[in-house]
Amino acid sequence: MLRFIIRRLLIMIPTVLIIITLTWGLIRLAPGNFYDSEKNIPEAIVKNIRAKYGLDQPWYVQYGRVIVRLFGFQYIPVRDENGKEVVGSNGQLVMKYEWHPYPDFGDSLKYEGQSVNRILATTLPVSITLGLLAYILAMIVGLITGTFAALKQNSKFDYASMAFAMLGISVPNFVLGPLLVLIFSLTLYWLPPARWGGFPSWNLLMPVLTLSALYMAYIARLTRSGMLEVLRADYVRTARAKGLSEKQVIFRHVMRGGLLPVISFSGPALAYLITGTVVVEQIFALPGLGNFFLNANLSRDEPLIIGIVAFLSLAILVFNLLVDIAYAFIDPRIRY
Amino acid sequence: MSSLRSDQFRLFITLILIAALAIGCSVAASNDVYFGRVVPPPGQILRYVTGDEIESLDPQVGTGQPDARIYAALYEGLVEYDPKNSQPIPAIAESWEINADWSEYIFHLRKNARWSNGKPITAKDFVYTFQRGVSPKLASRNAYLAYYIKYSEAYNTGGSFVRDSQTNEYVLEKDVLEGADKKDEAATDQPPAEAENSAADAEKHKRLHTPARLVLPADEKERAALLKDNPKIEGAIAGKVIEPVKPEDIGVEEVDPYTVRITLKQSARFFLGLMAHQFFRVVPGEAIEKYGKDWTEPANIVTSGPFKLKERILYDRTVVEKDPMYWDAAAVRLNRIIFYPVRDNNTIMNLYKVGEIEAFLNHTVPPGWIDYMRPLKDYMGTPENGNDYYDFNCRRGPFTDKRLRKAFNMAIDKVTFAKWRKTVTPLTGFVPVGIFPGYPNPKGDEFNPERARQLLAEAGYPVTKDGNGNYSCPKFPIAEVEILYNPPSTNKQIAEFLQAQWKQNLGITVPLREMEFRTMLNVRAKGEYKGIARDAWGGDYMDPFTFLNLFYKGAENGSGWHDPEYDKLLDEANAQTDPQKRYELFAKAEAYMLEEQPVIPLDTPTVNWMKKPYVKGMYPNPLTLHPWKYVYIEYDQAKWDQGVPNMAE
Repeated sequence: MLRFIIRRLLIMIPTVLIIITLTWGLIRLAPGNFYDSEKNIPEAIVKNIRAKYGLDQPWYVQYGRVIVRLFGFQYIPVRDENGKEVVGSNGQLVMKYEWHPYPDFGDSLKYEGQSVNRILATTLPVSITLGLLAYILAMIVGLITGTFAALKQNSKFDYASMAFAMLGISVPNFVLGPLLVLIFSLTLYWLPPARWGGFPSWNLLMPVLTLSALYMAYIARLTRSGMLEVLRADYVRTARAKGLSEKQVIFRHVMRGGLLPVISFSGPALAYLITGTVVVEQIFALPGLGNFFLNANLSRDEPLIIGIVAFLSLAILVFNLLVDIAYAFIDPRIRY
Repeated sequence: MSSLRSDQFRLFITLILIAALAIGCSVAASNDVYFGRVVPPPGQILRYVTGDEIESLDPQVGTGQPDARIYAALYEGLVEYDPKNSQPIPAIAESWEINADWSEYIFHLRKNARWSNGKPITAKDFVYTFQRGVSPKLASRNAYLAYYIKYSEAYNTGGSFVRDSQTNEYVLEKDVLEGADKKDEAATDQPPAEAENSAADAEKHKRLHTPARLVLPADEKERAALLKDNPKIEGAIAGKVIEPVKPEDIGVEEVDPYTVRITLKQSARFFLGLMAHQFFRVVPGEAIEKYGKDWTEPANIVTSGPFKLKERILYDRTVVEKDPMYWDAAAVRLNRIIFYPVRDNNTIMNLYKVGEIEAFLNHTVPPGWIDYMRPLKDYMGTPENGNDYYDFNCRRGPFTDKRLRKAFNMAIDKVTFAKWRKTVTPLTGFVPVGIFPGYPNPKGDEFNPERARQLLAEAGYPVTKDGNGNYSCPKFPIAEVEILYNPPSTNKQIAEFLQAQWKQNLGITVPLREMEFRTMLNVRAKGEYKGIARDAWGGDYMDPFTFLNLFYKGAENGSGWHDPEYDKLLDEANAQTDPQKRYELFAKAEAYMLEEQPVIPLDTPTVNWMKKPYVKGMYPNPLTLHPWKYVYIEYDQAKWDQGVPNMAE
């Protein structure tokens, strides 16, 4: 088991490196630069900008800079004994590498003076709060509804909950979000229509609901079908036959097998909930990772894109690993 | 199975009813006076959405309008924008003198201006600010705004002077460049503006008043081209010292601690208005040199405006507070302004409706909402300092033929267009109408489909009419033409409008091509689009030149159109001292450009924003830049604004 985990962790390093390399290449291919705007700027100014951000260097130098930064080598201005930044003969700052024990993604190009590390550090709590709350809500409601629906198959409750689930899956969040806003903010004036209010706050209610609706519905349906399958399995019949109470049968035997599909879904789901909040963040104007990711792409902010992609890919890899570990605990057939 | 159907059905009906109820409630309120809740927040606090998150708190770095609105709170320059008409009014400079040909400006600073740390703001700070703005190290995208200042372009682009090491004389432009002396005349032959010259600055001042020195470009290729075009230079610079232009060389001097003199390389009447621009607002040299790029951190920042920074959370809020150190703090009425970055227009409208914000930026009310909003008393819809147009590709393709450009322009009914768009006024010229009082806007070509078809025929593409009254133009090379535009969908609708007009009036169906914004900018700047591309301009300052300058020599524009005759007309206009005469010459240049039709002018947009009636001192000015010190919350309902506030008072 330990060997399995270590091996998986080690494989993550080249995987993330490959993802970053591909991302870096794709950004190069996209036309346009972060400094482009509706106003054409003179060629000479473009030259200054390119020199300032090292874009005048050959591609391998630029690529190398991205990679060594990942291993903790920060690229920072040299200061003289008075603490003043040193300017070189080309009119630009003189820079040097300095090692720190954490990866550095450099400074954002669009948000001058903001390091990507700091942007990640301030936006992650927002995205994680949203994602986790939505995840917990989806899990609680989904599991309970799914389980009851399976136990009371073909009852009115079953049909009603599955109809709701169908609705949850088919109504996209960019429809659900504004609909909730229309009812609870613009008409009833109960809830704030947008913005971050910290945790806990009423501002969270609608974004979390919007975000979790789809996952809630999925989990309910997965739970129901998983449970139904297991309820008919031989080992459940055996458990009943040996005289276990219905409670014991369900909690010890049915749940364990019936929840496998939910677990394999829930790992990536958590990753997507935390990282895939772009639309919800946009509708509710929340300062999360998604908002930055979208904007970084639109504004060709290379260090920020790479920083976020590196984080997202790492998150998805880790959650997948966690799912695999959970499998081993739940499914007796799986051993690493 | 039947129970499932009826359950689902009931649920569906319930949801529809809830939605209908909600929509019904919001529509039923159509006899409202204002949009949504009207409850002033206690404590003189203003909550404002300024658009997307700003690039930086450094006014010389951020280039956007959202940035400029926050800088207006934190930084002050020599002059400030008038809250109503955006013209320059005194700020840190309490008075100024300008010489007869508008090439030299002397600013007298007020003695009580202070930084937020209590230290006085002096002429040295302005010299630092201007030198820093054009330094290659800062690489500001706005540096070109300072190119009117003598030698600042040379410094910004890494150029060099040429000095004779024996005589210490510099090689002058007029000695080696053809036609250079004429350009120079304006800036040097006029008597300098009145100022008590101290001995210390006399030398530099004299230096700035000698004819312009020759500047060699830093770029090898450019230098080679210059030498090739002007064989005299090679001989003139042989054996002499090449001396890089230094920050001290630019035409900004400290005459005494409270007097700044700015010498321009040419006559520029609009320069005073430009001084209110974010790029020229004074920045704290001490903090910048100490903290480098981290100087804008809340712990390090030092500001010069009526408000100081309290808190900043990226993509969440920027909070500023009244600064007691500000020289005019007694006049500042707001205690706090909270700027929210919000990108989505519908979200902004929602926040405004429930009263979570007091006002928001321009161009925000979505087109579908306009008819409902316009009659309300909190809607602002006056014309602004900008225009919308489409470029013709004058570099390659069929539109190198002027007749085709004119035909395609004449086939667009701009009056109908403006009626359909709702938030614009029609524009047939290029400089926006109703922004510059006294400017005789040339008309340009009116809607004339008959003449358009005639022009097409003259160009070799006859238009025929079939039995149903539909036109067709079979010979037109449709494969070489596209309408290029960028998202969002409103731009697409405009492109479709043009497409429909050309189909209807010329019988030509031009294909549409949507392209992501930055990709389009690139394609457009290089002239790599087929025929027609969307474009727009927001003025940098309150003068028609900010628009006409787009086609002036050296400037890049999407159409690629340039004409020495046009440049000459603009030079003539800018050399005028009489403002009306100057406007007339500008109009002549604009008419000349319109005759060549490098663009399809469409409209002058209106500002299109809203503010709660209890927000006073905030006006729909042409730049949508608000000097926040005049803004306040009025708690007495009797004094609230009823509609657009009086702009003439």
